[in-house]
Amino acid sequence: MTAGKQWSGEAIEAALAAQGIALAPGRGERLAGGLQALLGASASDPLRESLEFDADPPGFLLAIQRCKTR
Amino acid sequence: MSDPALFSLAQAAQAVRAGRISPDELLRASRARIERWQPRINAFVSLESDVEARRPGALFGVPLAHKDMFYRAGRVSSCGSKILRGWVANKTSTALARLDAAGALDIGRLNMSEFAYGPTGHNEHWGDCRNPWNADYITGGSSSGSGASVAARLVFGALGSDTGGSVRLPASACGVSGLKTTWGRVSRHGAMPLCASLDTIGPLARSAEDCALILGAIAGHDARDPLSSQQPVPDYVALISKGPPLKVALSSSWIERDVDPEVAAATLAAAAVLRASGATLIEVEPPDFDTLSAHCLVVMQAEASAQHAGWMRERPHDYSSAVRARLEAGYAIPATAYLEALRLRAAWLERFCATTLAGADLYLLPGIAVRIPTRTQTGPQGGPAMPQLLGEVTRLTRWVNYLGVPALVVPCGFDSRGLPISVQFVGRPFAEATLLAAGHAFQRETDWHQRVPA
Repeated sequence: MTAGKQWSGEAIEAALAAQGIALAPGRGERLAGGLQALLGASASDPLRESLEFDADPPGFLLAIQRCKTR
Repeated sequence: MSDPALFSLAQAAQAVRAGRISPDELLRASRARIERWQPRINAFVSLESDVEARRPGALFGVPLAHKDMFYRAGRVSSCGSKILRGWVANKTSTALARLDAAGALDIGRLNMSEFAYGPTGHNEHWGDCRNPWNADYITGGSSSGSGASVAARLVFGALGSDTGGSVRLPASACGVSGLKTTWGRVSRHGAMPLCASLDTIGPLARSAEDCALILGAIAGHDARDPLSSQQPVPDYVALISKGPPLKVALSSSWIERDVDPEVAAATLAAAAVLRASGATLIEVEPPDFDTLSAHCLVVMQAEASAQHAGWMRERPHDYSSAVRARLEAGYAIPATAYLEALRLRAAWLERFCATTLAGADLYLLPGIAVRIPTRTQTGPQGGPAMPQLLGEVTRLTRWVNYLGVPALVVPCGFDSRGLPISVQFVGRPFAEATLLAAGHAFQRETDWHQRVPA
């Protein structure tokens, strides 16, 4: 599984500009490469296919309770 | 032992309780070492002039100091930054208040990575913190001053924070014991936030027993941190020598194949020490470190960048180039990727406990998979190899924060250059007592934790 379309320096710059963040000069391409690799690694998670529709972030608090040491 | 600054925290507290030494004598001993070491390692950013033992308790009269991100009302907390230089806190962190209540002395504020967002100990605003074993090498970060000051025996213990390894990396690189606590075990009220889903607070000290003493003082629910747990706080010190023989999971083949040879040898030797002391070793497949680390980084970058959005819009030039670059990256994380990483978190925690820890009390692995790099290799002049090297330094810590579980690092040797090597024990949620018992069992059989830099 991939993270989708390749990120580019221009896309990074535009994404940040839309949030009012000024990208340091010349950094877009470098960030794009790193972001592509990171999102690709996250998206290739083998558990992603079996993630239950009902799973939500606060479910982690319940998992901590279920898994805690006895 | 003639210099009381070389006592363990447990020994120092006991000596004060027994009247064999006064808090003033301990304080003088600490200050004498600070005077000698501070120019070499830059561990402190500020020293308190007015320190007095006021409250009786388990840590009465013992000098501690803490990462400069734990607020104390009326005192400056600069958080390693230019932006907050001179900023005065209007509240006291729960962790500091609880150490006060235990009678500990807070003798100064310790250097740290800018906003706790860097794994090496570099800091262009306050000066790099330097490794007491060799000043050319990194201390690890972000709790750099905590690791360096405990290693050099300037203080008996220190608080750090751990969002992706920031207690364990400096503890590992400086050769001290460091505990990353279960997410929610210690209140974060009044501690500088970085990433709400990952931030934890924990001690760095001279031994597992010393970590147990500090944890016992700071752990427990706090209504001012709604994410702090209601889980009862056990007597960590009493439990450190109790319990059945440990079952220790590890992945020997993976360690031999994927870890620096000197680090691998020391790690496997540590496992052998535990086996000789009665533990059972169980070979398991390693967790998927890289996927878990990627999820951790997605969450970390998104949350840290959101936390800093105001200053990043208004004064981005007041961040160091390295921290600004890390923050910039977070604004491009898609919200869906962030939330998907959080939705997967429960499944990964349950898998870790049901597979890696299925028949074991803890999972053993190195604290850092590579030998400690130099400050030059990992600093502004680090060159194109630096991102990969930083990734290797943090490879074995971030996955633990994603799972929210506790982890203890203790020193287990030195490499051929004389830099420390550490072993890491990772447990189930709230298994701090088990990890501390393992560390204590290891430290009863070894003296790596008693080595002091010259």
